[in-house]
Amino acid sequence: MGQVHISQFDKTKKIKQGKKMPSNILQYVNRKWLSIWKGNPPGLVLILFTFFTSLLMSIPIFYVIWRSFFAGGDRWKRLLDERIPQLLWNTLSLNLAVTVCAVIIGVSLAWIVTRTDIPGRKIWQWVLALPLVIPPYVGAVTYIIVFGPSGWARDIWNNSPLIVDLFGEYSINIYSFGGVFFVLTMFTYPYVYIIANASLRKMNHNFEEAASSLGSTPLQIFWKVNLPMLRPAIGSGAVLVSLYVLSDFGAISMLRYVTFTAAIYFQRQGMDISSAAVLSLVLVLLTIAILWLESLSKKKNKYYQTTNTYRKPLTLRLGKWKLVTFFYVSMVFLVSVLIPIIVLVYWSNIGIRMGALDERFFGFAFNSLKVSGIAAFICMLFAMPIIYLRSRYPSVISSAIERLSYSGYALPGIIVALGFIFIFNNHIPSIYGTFHMLYLAFVVRFLPQTMQAGDSSMRLISPRIDEAARSLGYPPWKVMFKVIMPNMLPGIMAGGSLAFVSSIKELPATLMLRSPGFDTLAIRVYFEAHERIYHLAAPSALLIILMSIIPLRYMLKKY
Amino acid sequence: MNEVKVIRVVLMFILLSAINLVVYGCTNTDNKLQQSNETDESTGATSKLEANSGELVVYSARNERFVQALLDKFTQDTGIRAIPLHEASPLRVVEEANNVQADVYISNDLGALGYLHMNGLLLGSNPKGIDTIPEEFRSDDNAYFAISARSRGFIYNKDLISEEEMPKSIEDLFHAKWAQVKNGYAVTRGGNGGMIGHVSALRYEWGDEKTSEWIAVIRENAAGIYQGHGDIRRAVGAGEHAFGLVNNYYYHQQLLEPRDNNVGFIYIDQEEDQMGVVVNAAGVGLVKGGPNEANAIKFLEWLLLPENQVAFVGQSLELLINSHFGAVYPPEVEPYIVGFNEIKAQNMPVKELGNFFEDTKELIEKSGLDLDLR
Repeated sequence: MGQVHISQFDKTKKIKQGKKMPSNILQYVNRKWLSIWKGNPPGLVLILFTFFTSLLMSIPIFYVIWRSFFAGGDRWKRLLDERIPQLLWNTLSLNLAVTVCAVIIGVSLAWIVTRTDIPGRKIWQWVLALPLVIPPYVGAVTYIIVFGPSGWARDIWNNSPLIVDLFGEYSINIYSFGGVFFVLTMFTYPYVYIIANASLRKMNHNFEEAASSLGSTPLQIFWKVNLPMLRPAIGSGAVLVSLYVLSDFGAISMLRYVTFTAAIYFQRQGMDISSAAVLSLVLVLLTIAILWLESLSKKKNKYYQTTNTYRKPLTLRLGKWKLVTFFYVSMVFLVSVLIPIIVLVYWSNIGIRMGALDERFFGFAFNSLKVSGIAAFICMLFAMPIIYLRSRYPSVISSAIERLSYSGYALPGIIVALGFIFIFNNHIPSIYGTFHMLYLAFVVRFLPQTMQAGDSSMRLISPRIDEAARSLGYPPWKVMFKVIMPNMLPGIMAGGSLAFVSSIKELPATLMLRSPGFDTLAIRVYFEAHERIYHLAAPSALLIILMSIIPLRYMLKKY
Repeated sequence: MNEVKVIRVVLMFILLSAINLVVYGCTNTDNKLQQSNETDESTGATSKLEANSGELVVYSARNERFVQALLDKFTQDTGIRAIPLHEASPLRVVEEANNVQADVYISNDLGALGYLHMNGLLLGSNPKGIDTIPEEFRSDDNAYFAISARSRGFIYNKDLISEEEMPKSIEDLFHAKWAQVKNGYAVTRGGNGGMIGHVSALRYEWGDEKTSEWIAVIRENAAGIYQGHGDIRRAVGAGEHAFGLVNNYYYHQQLLEPRDNNVGFIYIDQEEDQMGVVVNAAGVGLVKGGPNEANAIKFLEWLLLPENQVAFVGQSLELLINSHFGAVYPPEVEPYIVGFNEIKAQNMPVKELGNFFEDTKELIEKSGLDLDLR
């Protein structure tokens, strides 16, 4: 990084002072600059643009970390003694439990739908990924409606003498570790499922056949052949689940559990900003630890698939297990898709008849569309130059720029929001308190998603195409606009739609940064559900889900 | 091919919202231009509605349902667009002291308003109709004043516990036996405005040491600690807890529920030698340096009209300080309304609360009750 700054600085200096500089220093800087870029430096505009983007992306997080150092020894000591151990336990135990179970459910479902003759296999393939479009806080609301202390389940329970005789009065407590664990698992397992599904489908049958010819049973094949091959997929799925659990605020707070993210939110509500910053630093460290664990496991093992002799895997006959398997898959579907949707439709119906779809509702929907739309648009705009720079001008500088731009991706939205409040209230008051803060935070959070999608289509564009265009007389900027951009567009668009949906669903940053009079659908779901005005919460939740279905097809195809 | 369609739809969405932004931005500046034009042409015969156009930023810590209804009425009556931020902490006003966003601050806790005033963040004024508010419910310079009042007490579930069995004094909670009651009792987290007000009142009555001890005991014995009083009334109504420490209007609200409404309420410390019930009030303060000061004054004067004082109480089912203005309560609640003249209230002036606000939070936390859920 130091090197980067120096050469940047020197270069501008060079331009300003021009002739005054001794020519040997100038030559040295020039040579150094060229060697960083391997003799092919990009245009200054491109460099500056991407540099500022990456700065915008990473500043909030550094600012929060910076602030945590000024919290004072006293506060640090108090938090370390009393708060942090408990929070660590809460957060890590929940995280581990959810991740393990999500992996088990995700992998088993993926194996069943790709390898067995379960009835309706084709339909299950995509239906089981559907919980992905239901934000966990919406799932939490529906399960409070069903299993809450005055929920549907209580009525059924207390009205059937048999159950009361056997188990006594209604005793399910959804506001517990079990409740949070259940809800988060049911709505995050698709991360694992989708990735495992794709990698199972790509797996070569030859390996399984070899094992089988040596006398392995199907179960042994699964443990000894399939599972080890699935390890990278399980790893990346588990990381996604784990990062999600770290950053979730909605479901966790609705079910009255407290993890780091929720604690930071509440500290901020109580305006104890310094404590919030300290807790944020711990959360950042936790996030980094998880990412580090993943990279560690990736480095250790390398798995290769031979594609040239690829053969489709055989379908396993379930036989007498058919009923059990079908029951299992149906139960997961019932719990993670059907029940939530039924509950939401039931309450939306009541709400709509009571006039929930009024001017206010459409105002909220419009606000949601507006911030998410602007955020997606900016994401698409900013993603292209960074991807282009990284792919066509690989160097220390460009990879640093790319890394910085990714910082919002892994880190919870709550930290981005906290950083924004610090920065804008203290240094850029004219934007503070307007909705501009909100979409800028979304950009920080979701630009990486757009970049990932764009990057995958950039990889398909061979540099030779650039060279061809250059050799025919196009200057570099024209190559970018006329050749690269049109080809990159489908990927960028898909990435933009991902950012759009993520923004609509986002809760913690939205709650913290919303400006007066600017509520979105997600905020309404949160507040109405908190007040238990379900007929107003349900239509908003349903609309969020409907909008999230848009890019699902793309996501399924990507893996 | 489907993919392309989907992408097109998304693109349309984004494009539309981008266009909307531009249009919205333009109309906004137009409005501002118009406004300045209007103020220039003071001689022009503009209608009342037009003359009052503009905005008012309202920060509120009160339940959104009550406040939103009030603000909608304000906009309807005056044409001024009220822009609310609900669930706004008083400390947010402190945080924004150099970058003031709010014009008025509505709070459930007079202590919070008093605290803001102590820190020089509120502006004194003399709105028309202020003399309808009794002096003990407003600051000396009228920078803030209260409209409605509530008292603290126990809501209890009649299926779980009878009135005779219930504790009758706040001091009763020192006994460990209340932890043994079936399903126990509930309190809010320490940072809740109502809780802070209550503890401030106890400090005024008992001094810090005994108060601190009391906090430690309820922290130890309470079966549930909740974010807000709404959670408590629902939990008690549903039988999750035998009783809970709330404000009296939460009892009124629970009576209105279609189910889980078999609840009662104890006004505590009513005996001869006891301190009397702890009272707090909800009201509004004028924020110093807010962006729309003229509209803020208009809001205060509008709010002081008898009709709108009644509207301030609205669905909250609190007690109107000016009870003769005749707040209306639903028939389910009406028989259970206990007027302030019928109960013994603590002798601490409500506006004293502000002096305790900051220290009280510290005391609560030191005594072991967390300000926030953990």
